[in-house]
Amino acid sequence: MNVFFIGLTNGAVYGLVALGYTLVYGILQLINFAHGDVFALSGLVAFSVLSGKFLGITSDDSMVIIIGALLLCLILTMPLFAVGNALIELVAYRRLRTAPRLAPLITAVGVSFIVQNVGLAVYDVEFYGATELLPRSNAIEIGSFAYQWNKLIVLLIVVPLLVSLTWFVRSTRQGKAMRATAQDKDASAMMGINVNRTISVTFALAGALAAAAGLLFLLQFNMRYDTGFQLGLFAFTAAVLGGIGNLSGAVLGATIIGLIEAFNEGLRWGHPLDGAWFFPDVGAPSDWTRAVIFGILIAILVFRPEGLLGERTAEGT
Amino acid sequence: MSEQTPPPERAAESPAPQPETQAPPQQQRANGGRDGVILEVTDIHTYYGSIHALKGISLQVREGEIVTLIGANGAGKSTTLRSINGLNNPRKGRIVFQGKDITNDPAHSIVKMGISQSPEGRRLFPHMSVLENLEMGAFQRTDRQNFKEDLDRVYALFPRLAERKTQRAGTLSGGEQQMVAMGRALMARPKLVMLDEPSMGLAPIFVERIFEIVKEINQQGTPILLVEQNAMMALDVAHRGYVMETGHIALTDDAKALAKNEQVQKAYLGMD
Repeated sequence: MNVFFIGLTNGAVYGLVALGYTLVYGILQLINFAHGDVFALSGLVAFSVLSGKFLGITSDDSMVIIIGALLLCLILTMPLFAVGNALIELVAYRRLRTAPRLAPLITAVGVSFIVQNVGLAVYDVEFYGATELLPRSNAIEIGSFAYQWNKLIVLLIVVPLLVSLTWFVRSTRQGKAMRATAQDKDASAMMGINVNRTISVTFALAGALAAAAGLLFLLQFNMRYDTGFQLGLFAFTAAVLGGIGNLSGAVLGATIIGLIEAFNEGLRWGHPLDGAWFFPDVGAPSDWTRAVIFGILIAILVFRPEGLLGERTAEGT
Repeated sequence: MSEQTPPPERAAESPAPQPETQAPPQQQRANGGRDGVILEVTDIHTYYGSIHALKGISLQVREGEIVTLIGANGAGKSTTLRSINGLNNPRKGRIVFQGKDITNDPAHSIVKMGISQSPEGRRLFPHMSVLENLEMGAFQRTDRQNFKEDLDRVYALFPRLAERKTQRAGTLSGGEQQMVAMGRALMARPKLVMLDEPSMGLAPIFVERIFEIVKEINQQGTPILLVEQNAMMALDVAHRGYVMETGHIALTDDAKALAKNEQVQKAYLGMD
């Protein structure tokens, strides 16, 4: 049970990043490899905001101040990375809109390196984390089941974000423009939709979600400039698992990935080389998490490339 | 086939109005420019990459008219529409709509000015319902109060759409999809509608119906620029026609005269 909720929490963070992949893919059919690195950089920036000279929040501060600081951090980093991500699109991808699909894909790999190296230049190779910031005391405790504050905060932030994202895409004018643009760009332009602006908004949304994920990750784990590479791949797998281009699919896929990871690491399920009985030195079961998750990626691409909820064509909902 | 009959319209054509001589907006709305000319395309050259697709196209649409653009596949009919609607701006030449130069305007602002289109291949939003597709047609409009009125008008023209309004557009038949595409174009409250191959791929009974509706839309007061491969039907409903050939206007005349023209009959109407 506890493992289940750990998985759910990690899945929620993956979900925010996976949404970024799927939003962008849905509208441009582009796998934005730079997205994981945008996430990692946002986490590092969140660390700067919270710590040291800026806010200087420590775990000794009262809960109210800590929560307030976290919200302030989101208010700062989400718009910052929204603008940043929209700028990436403007500078790196817009001119390649009509180019063969390989060109923007390779550009995305290039942007990934650039963002990663910005992180390396500014933050060096150190790991940063704010894992002590929130108390690990139990927020909810029923019998053997316990849920810690530092995990609860993730759901407290992710759920409202998902609800507002759904509302935005379903009901607002801009959301309708996004859905239409995802389905047919030329036809959307003929309806009077400003396609370029709609794509910028999509990248901005993806960037804002990545920034929220960055902060939440920072509260759980240590991270550094290249954390985004692996997490980005996990989130990408989640997006593909759910059906790339499909928003609910991304969240579903991310939850599944989070659960698989948690069960694999927590319960040592299906771990053929458990150090205890085979090679004593092979190490912890978490070594196998990646193998399992990318194995899933391969299996999906072979057997159900449209994903669990996906359809043959990409859609914005 | 290559003989050029000097078109009377072209002879009467004077240099296009200068941007400085633009009439004030309310006046534009009232008379739509000189002699009721609402759209004036002058010698446009449009390229696809390095391919010179339009080599000097000039045409006019006047208030109340149905003007048809006929010609073989690849003659540049759709490209002409894409030049006008801003999806593929011409490199040379001028497009003036209601006295305003729109040659290099982006597509979304051209819709706002009052040109809407039912594109070739219909291009619906397949995952949206019929009603949502119609709503998208009214996307750029801010006068939400007239929305219901326009919706009723579209449903009156296409009663089938009212029955199917919650159905996903992608699951409709070809004829119904064409109705949605035309209805969607009308939802913009356009001052000019461009219809690109509305009869393409439809059963003969639907083709008849579509052309009746084209006439009806026109009689309600909207000028239409109609691109068609079905030249006979198009010339039947249109007032004037232009015959396109590999990026040029080969012929232009009254629709009735074109329908009687020997070359047109031979090349496009399948008569000997």
